[in-house]
Amino acid sequence: MTLSKIWVFAESTESGITSTSLELISAASKFADHVEVFVASPEPGYSEIVGAYGATKLIQVTDVNDRLIGTVVASAMAQLLSGNTVDAIFFAMTPEGRDCAARLSVKLDVPVLTNVVNLSVDGTRLVSEHAIFGGSEIVQAGFTGSSPAIFAIRAKSFTAESRGGMPAEVVQVGVGDLGSAGKARIVEQHLEERSGPKLDEAPVVVSGGRGLGQAENYKLVEELAKLLGGAPGASRAIVDAGWVPYSYQVGQTGKTVKPNVYIACGISGATQHMVGMKGAKNIIAINKDEDAPIFSIADLGIVGDVHKIVPKLIEALQSRT
Amino acid sequence: MRLVIGAVIFVIAVVIAGRRLLFLYQLIKSGKPAPGRTSGAGERLWAEISEVIGQRKLLRKTVPGIAHAFTFWGFIILLATIIEAFGALFNSSFAIPLIGHDSWLGFLEDFFTVLILCSLVVFSIIRLKNAPARKERESRFYGSHTGAAWLTLLGIALVLITLLGYRGAQVNLGHFPYGDAAFASHLVGSWFSTFGVGANKTLEFVFLELNIAVIMAFLVFVTYSKHLHIFTSSLNVAFSRRPKALGALGVTPNMDPELLSEDDVFGVGKIEHLTWKQNLDLATCTECGRCQEQCPAWNTNKPLSPKLLIMDLREHLFKSASALIGSGSTGSTEVNLIGNVISPEILWACTTCGACVEACPVDIEHVDAIVDMRRYQVLMESEFPTEANLMLRNVENQGDPWGLGQSKRLDWTKGVDFEIPVVTGEIPNDMEYLFWVGCAGALDERAMKVTQSIARLLNQAGVNFGILGPRESCTGDPARRLGNEYLYQMQATSNIETLNEAGVKKIVASCPHCFNSLANEYPSLGGNYQVVHHSQLLEKLVSQQKILPKIPVNAKVTYHDPCYLGRHNSVYDEPRSVLNAVPGVSTVEMHKHKSKGFCCGAGGSRMWLEENIGKRINMERTDQALGTDADVVSTACPYCMIMLDDGVKSRQSEGAASESLRVLDVAQILENSTKD
Amino acid sequence: MNITVCVKQIPDQSSPGKLDPGSHNLVRDGKLILDDSDSYGVEMALQLAAEAGGGEVTLVSMAPNGEVSGIRTALAMGADKAVLVSDAKLAGADALTTAKVLAAAIKRNPFDLVIAATESTDGYTGTVPVQIAEILDIPSVSFAKKVELSGGILKVQRQTELGYDQVECPLPALISVTAGVVEPRYPSFKGIMSAKSKPVEVLEASTLGIEPGRNQEIITVRSAEERSSGVIITDEGDAHQQIIEFLEQLKVI
Repeated sequence: MTLSKIWVFAESTESGITSTSLELISAASKFADHVEVFVASPEPGYSEIVGAYGATKLIQVTDVNDRLIGTVVASAMAQLLSGNTVDAIFFAMTPEGRDCAARLSVKLDVPVLTNVVNLSVDGTRLVSEHAIFGGSEIVQAGFTGSSPAIFAIRAKSFTAESRGGMPAEVVQVGVGDLGSAGKARIVEQHLEERSGPKLDEAPVVVSGGRGLGQAENYKLVEELAKLLGGAPGASRAIVDAGWVPYSYQVGQTGKTVKPNVYIACGISGATQHMVGMKGAKNIIAINKDEDAPIFSIADLGIVGDVHKIVPKLIEALQSRT
Repeated sequence: MRLVIGAVIFVIAVVIAGRRLLFLYQLIKSGKPAPGRTSGAGERLWAEISEVIGQRKLLRKTVPGIAHAFTFWGFIILLATIIEAFGALFNSSFAIPLIGHDSWLGFLEDFFTVLILCSLVVFSIIRLKNAPARKERESRFYGSHTGAAWLTLLGIALVLITLLGYRGAQVNLGHFPYGDAAFASHLVGSWFSTFGVGANKTLEFVFLELNIAVIMAFLVFVTYSKHLHIFTSSLNVAFSRRPKALGALGVTPNMDPELLSEDDVFGVGKIEHLTWKQNLDLATCTECGRCQEQCPAWNTNKPLSPKLLIMDLREHLFKSASALIGSGSTGSTEVNLIGNVISPEILWACTTCGACVEACPVDIEHVDAIVDMRRYQVLMESEFPTEANLMLRNVENQGDPWGLGQSKRLDWTKGVDFEIPVVTGEIPNDMEYLFWVGCAGALDERAMKVTQSIARLLNQAGVNFGILGPRESCTGDPARRLGNEYLYQMQATSNIETLNEAGVKKIVASCPHCFNSLANEYPSLGGNYQVVHHSQLLEKLVSQQKILPKIPVNAKVTYHDPCYLGRHNSVYDEPRSVLNAVPGVSTVEMHKHKSKGFCCGAGGSRMWLEENIGKRINMERTDQALGTDADVVSTACPYCMIMLDDGVKSRQSEGAASESLRVLDVAQILENSTKD
Repeated sequence: MNITVCVKQIPDQSSPGKLDPGSHNLVRDGKLILDDSDSYGVEMALQLAAEAGGGEVTLVSMAPNGEVSGIRTALAMGADKAVLVSDAKLAGADALTTAKVLAAAIKRNPFDLVIAATESTDGYTGTVPVQIAEILDIPSVSFAKKVELSGGILKVQRQTELGYDQVECPLPALISVTAGVVEPRYPSFKGIMSAKSKPVEVLEASTLGIEPGRNQEIITVRSAEERSSGVIITDEGDAHQQIIEFLEQLKVI
């Protein structure tokens, strides 16, 4: 192994460690002998899973309470770093991960590399890859100064692989008072799992257009969006036709969306619609008219019948889970 | 005795009417200056002759037009009877000097008296047939003061009846200055002849005094009602924008940032911001509803009616009178027009299609007034439908309303197989036309195909043309029609700089909105070019046989007039000539066409706003096109194309239109006929 | 209440981006405009200041070439003044350096609240706001999608992976706001005119006592592997499989 120790900030929900965090642990275990995972929760029982994915130590921060996790964990890391040599620290590109990386970077006076999509070893250091200009170019970057190297990594950049490791050694730490930085308090938590993400914030948007034929078929769009953890959208034509409310409209006079994936079902791609979704990183279009303008910007264009393809797609996705 | 009564009536009426007219004069004059309203005397004189005397615009509606023309001409003739009536107060045997016994005058007086009476019957039938109480919004009189209208008809009828009454009695008393030519008077005389001399004397006295009383009462009534137009309309036509208040907007304020301060006010936000001409417009409206009848917003169940807008402003103007001209101050001038007098839904519903201006018999300038109010809302209040925000930011930052950016402006050229020169420095001497592609033509997929057709046709015809490519930027029309004059002028001055530096003289534009800006609006900012629309150039090339349509295109085609090509610029015939030159094409007109063409719904920056109230305008127009049973809906504007295409697709998906129905530009149809 | 808003002036995003081949810095020539995502923060600041009954809204920005056109847009919306740190030495500055510069610029004026966008449209590192908070030693609430202020306490809906947290935070504090948190106003003519005379203080990094150093480097730039981009296929009954493969490739599933 090239590196001796990597820290990973793992995030947890009621259903356990998030899949993105497991990806980071897996990746870290490929680069370093010692992988130490921070979890902002006193809950017992995480040591097995993080150990299975390659962690050697689980550091539980026990006194988060109603404080913002990122701030608390950043302090914990800063405190533990004195007298400890850590080569790199991995964060997920989540609100918590970004908060934590940002706070820590100032405490240590080291920069952060964010939006990492891949990592590799170059000599004794880690080199990160970043997709820029909508993914058309890849930039390789690395740190020149002192360690630790802080990386904020995008979800799905690595595969989470259980390697059947032993349960990690558990250490519990408390950080105490955070001073001014700790004054923000969480009063209430709202889960939106059932209603799904908002249209303009969703990582995946599935939109329907006139090609759906009739209002009832819009439920295909909603179902597909739900399966992909995304939000349903619509072209102006079907909003005007009254199939869905105006709040679903993507386009010049509706919402501008920039999801990772945009799936256009039965949308021909009027300019007024395209300007609202052209910022999507990846575009999949399904339309029966091969001359439909939407195909000019689609990364994957399917000339075919929405009514046949989408139900099969839904079925295939359902069978995977 | 009769002199005393007549004189008393006369003096009272003249004092009341005179005070009212003085008040109206002061109220109208209190408006802001309206420059350029007296230049071009010849044109103005011609307007008086054709529109006032010739009743040109009224006659566009045949039956009411003829009835009105008879009434108008009749009243001119009947001025002679007023002189005669007043003369008779002094001397029972009064006759107008020189011509007072001529039988032609006697005939004309009686002839028009009868014609006006007939016209009154026609007017009554029209009003009964279109009674707003029954037909509601479908009636052009909806919202008009119908009580006052009936009173007017009654007043005119009474004038004529009393006139015939005393004239008939005069015949029997031997005072009547005319012979048998005054046929109606003699007829009435024959009815009265059995009553004897004494009774006829009484009849003459009573009818004469009544005639004068009715005339004077009518005079007073006129000055207090919408019938004021009999005094103001000739003035309003005389001071109107010639040839019509369409094409360019009326006023281009100086918005040079160097000369302005943050205290300058632009547009019309309060009643005192109106010009005196706009006040005169308000005073002139006779509530005939011809504008309302043509308005695409009104016809699709939106709250905007140009007539009601003018009436509401007029009512507010009168309410504010004491603050505007009197010593008193009611505070009405403090009131913001939008939200208090005119609702925002009304203001933003206008497509600036100009159907109202075109229809108005007294040349009221609705579109200018609406855009003036929009200017105030956008520039001063920053209050407008939020969905337009993005369009404005895109025009400002990326130079096109969609925000696609200059780098994409050459993409369409990849679709033609010859080189199109991009003018980078000065335009070469041998390059005849600069092709102004427009944002839609360069960036919208559907419009791009039209652009490519035009380019291929010009190339085929040997026309030497070039494009500006990435140096072209939005003309500013969408911003201007939304009321953002500041952004429009930024765009315009920068485009003019580009065009002037390149030494451009002749421009062919494919978008009628660009065409209108370049041809009619840029001159006031220092850009003077000969601008033609592509349909005009293609028509010329076809007639010069430089383009030879030979392959039959067997289709029934209906042509939709783009407002900014048709009404705003009077280009009606060239696109039709292009279609007619194509073998196999049979053309069919929609009911509303040419000057009565129905908007597609995209003008006036409506393209960039949501349409939530009533039926969508593009659907209404699409349905009108479907009514012709045409195979192809043709047009010559990218905005119309987008709107109609959308409408047709929508009807196709409902199964209400044939799958083979297509929406094409006239250039595309022409090109189809030249391809082997 | 005094509010400072961090704004970034960025190149027109409709033009394809470029990296300088030598320095690997983002090429930022030509006209710079106010980053759209910052217009939400400016609007938020104007609304909060108005609700609080006054106070100044100050902009801070950093640009290598003294560009102010984007700042003028924000001033036209209604901000009162601006501090621009313009220094050629800051070209290609990393997020931490940027945060240090902005924090130093923020400190030149009294503030109760600092507002930033969650990330810029052109660089999207997304750490600068919280780094600023840490430097200023104040609490931060990132990813705010709804903000209210009552009794000197910020009440924020903070977007999370699963929904949102209702967070309360005393002033002074920093928030980073998401797009759509408020509807940015379009500058009125009066605003545009008055923006011309509003004060913009232009400073160099050294005036703030900052010597930009570089602790990270770009090693190489290469074109991304041709993913299955721009592929148009005709469905022959198995198109859904191709979509699944594409989604897998994108690591969405």
